[in-house]
Amino acid sequence: MADLGLVVADLVVGLMLGCVFAVIAHGLNVIWGVTKVVNVAHGEFIMLGAYGAYYLNVYLGFNPVLSVPVDAAIGIGVGFLFYFGLLHRELRGKEAITRESEMVTLVATFGLSLVISNAALAIFKGDAVGIRWAPETLDLGPFDVALGGLYVAISSVAIIAISDLFLSRTYLGNAIRAYSQDIGAAQLMGINPARIAAIATAIGFALTMAGGALLTVWLPVGITPLIGATYAPISFVIVVLGGPGKMWGSLLGGLTLGILIDVLPAFGISASIAVAVAFLVLIPVLLFAREGILR
Amino acid sequence: MRIPRMRFPTFGPTLYGLALVMVVLGVATPFLPIIVKVQLINFLLFVGLAYALNFMTGLTGYVSFGHAIFMGIGAYALGGGIDRLGFPPLLGVILGAGLGAAFAVGIGLVTLRFRGVYFAITTLVLFLAAKNIVPEISQLGGGVGIFMNLGFQPLAEFYTIWTIVVLEIGLTYWVTHGRLGYGLRAIKSDEDAAKTVGVNASRLKLTVFGISGMFAGATGAVYAWTLSAVLPDTGFDITYSLRMLAMIIIGGAGTLLGPFLGAIIVYVPYNYFQTVQSLLGLQLAVIGALVLLIALFIPTGIVGTIRRHVPILRRYIE
Repeated sequence: MADLGLVVADLVVGLMLGCVFAVIAHGLNVIWGVTKVVNVAHGEFIMLGAYGAYYLNVYLGFNPVLSVPVDAAIGIGVGFLFYFGLLHRELRGKEAITRESEMVTLVATFGLSLVISNAALAIFKGDAVGIRWAPETLDLGPFDVALGGLYVAISSVAIIAISDLFLSRTYLGNAIRAYSQDIGAAQLMGINPARIAAIATAIGFALTMAGGALLTVWLPVGITPLIGATYAPISFVIVVLGGPGKMWGSLLGGLTLGILIDVLPAFGISASIAVAVAFLVLIPVLLFAREGILR
Repeated sequence: MRIPRMRFPTFGPTLYGLALVMVVLGVATPFLPIIVKVQLINFLLFVGLAYALNFMTGLTGYVSFGHAIFMGIGAYALGGGIDRLGFPPLLGVILGAGLGAAFAVGIGLVTLRFRGVYFAITTLVLFLAAKNIVPEISQLGGGVGIFMNLGFQPLAEFYTIWTIVVLEIGLTYWVTHGRLGYGLRAIKSDEDAAKTVGVNASRLKLTVFGISGMFAGATGAVYAWTLSAVLPDTGFDITYSLRMLAMIIIGGAGTLLGPFLGAIIVYVPYNYFQTVQSLLGLQLAVIGALVLLIALFIPTGIVGTIRRHVPILRRYIE
C-alpha cells in the first residue's frame, strides 16, 4: 500500500494541476458548446497564450497571473479573426450545424494547427523557455504547497465561476445560451446569430489564451512551440468528460485528469501509463455517458 | 431487395493510368541509381499510407487523427517478428498487416459507435495512449526500441511496398465499384438514412476500418524495415497521421486517383525541404496551409472538384 502522506501530497498537486487543465480546456468548452465547432488548433492557441505570458514577463516583468488579462484581451481579437476568417462561412445562415460543416471545420482547424505550430517553430525556435516565478511555499506540516500553483488554481476556479455567472446572469450570456440551444428560436427572439457566435468564439479564445498564461507556472522551463500537441488532446478529453457547453464540466474533467495523472504514480504505476489511463477514461465515458458525466 | 451489381465492361482510364504508372515504376526501378530508388521507396510509403487512410476516412467520412497507431503496430510487429521470432522481413510485413487488421477490428468494435468529432478525438486519444504504453513494455525494447541490423535491401523493400500499393489501388477500385461502395457512399452522406434502407452500417464500417488498419500496418512495417529499427518515436509518429490526412484531403477523399495525387503533393515538399536548411521546419506549415484552404474552399479535394466542375473529365478521372 502506498504511503498515505505521499498520496495526500500527490492529491494536492493533482488538484492544482487539474485546475490548470480545467482552465486551458475551458475556452474549447465554450466554443464547442456554443458553436458546436471543435477547434483542433486549440492547443496552438494555448501555446500562443503561453508565449504571450513569456514575452510579457521578459519585456515588462509581468508574472503569469498578471498577464492573464492582457492575454485575454489579445485572445478576444484573435477570436473575432478566427470567427470571421474561418467559421462564419460555415455557420452563417444555418439553423443547426450540419455534419458536413462539422467535418469541414474539423479539417480546416487541423490545417490551421499545422500552420501555427510550424510557423511558431520557425519564429520562436525549438528551444524551451520559461518564466522564473517562484513565490514562496506554504508549509502544511507533512508537505509543502507551492503558492504559485495555488494562486493559479484559485484564478482558474475564479475564471470558470465568472464565466458561469456571465452565462446565467447577464443578457448577453442568456443570448449565448439561447443560441447554443436553438439557433432558429434565438433568431425569432431578436438575437443576431452571427454576432452571438462571434462573441462566444472571442470569449472562448480569451479564455484559451488566458489559460495558456496560467499554464506557464507549470512549465518553468518547458514552453516550446510544440506544447499544443500535448495540451490539445488533454483539453478534448476534459471537455468530453464534462460535456461540451457545461461550464463546471471543465473543472470536473480537469480535476479527474489531474488527479489520475498525479495520484496513480503514488501507487507504483509509471507516469506515462498514468497519462495513458487518463486519456483512455474518454472511452467508457463516451460509451456510457454520452453527454458527459455532469447532468 | 438485393441491389444489382454494377456492371463495368472496362476498368476506366484512371485505373489504367495508375496501372501504367505502377508497371513503369516496377520495371524501371532495378535500373535506376540508388538515390532514386530510396526516394521512390519513400514516395511509395506515402502513397501506401494515403490509400490506407482513404479506405476509412475517404470512403466513410470518418476522420481519423490517430491512424499512425496502425503504422506503429506494424512496425513493432516487424521488429518483434525479426528480433524475437527470427522471421525474414517479408513475413514480418505480413505479420504487421495481420496485427494491423486485428487491432483495427478490435478498436473499431468500440470506437466506430462514435460519430463525427467524437470518433476523431477517440482515435487521437488511442494513438497517444499507445505511444505512452508501448515504451513501457520491456519485451518490445522499452524506451530504447528494437534494432534489427537488416542492412540495406532497397529492391526487396521497393517491391514489398510496390505490391502493397498495387493491392491497395486494386482493392480501392473493387470496393468503390461494387456493392460495398453503394453502402459506403450511403453511410458517408447520411448514416441514419443508410441504416433505414437496410445498409448494415456497422459491419461495412468495420470492414473498411479493418482493411485500412491492415494496409497501414503493412506500410508501417515496411517503413520500419527501411529504417532497420523500431524506435518509440519513429514507430508512433503523429506527423505521419497528419500527413496521411493531409494527402487524402488535398487529393480528394474517397476517390481512386486522389490519394496518389495527394501523396505527390505532400511528398515533394517533404523531400525537397529536407535538403534546404532554411525551409526544414516549414514543410508541415505549407501542407497545413494547403489543407486549410482546400477544406474551406474546395472540400472535395482536387479530384472531387475537377469532377464537379469539368463534366467532360468525369469519365476519365475518378
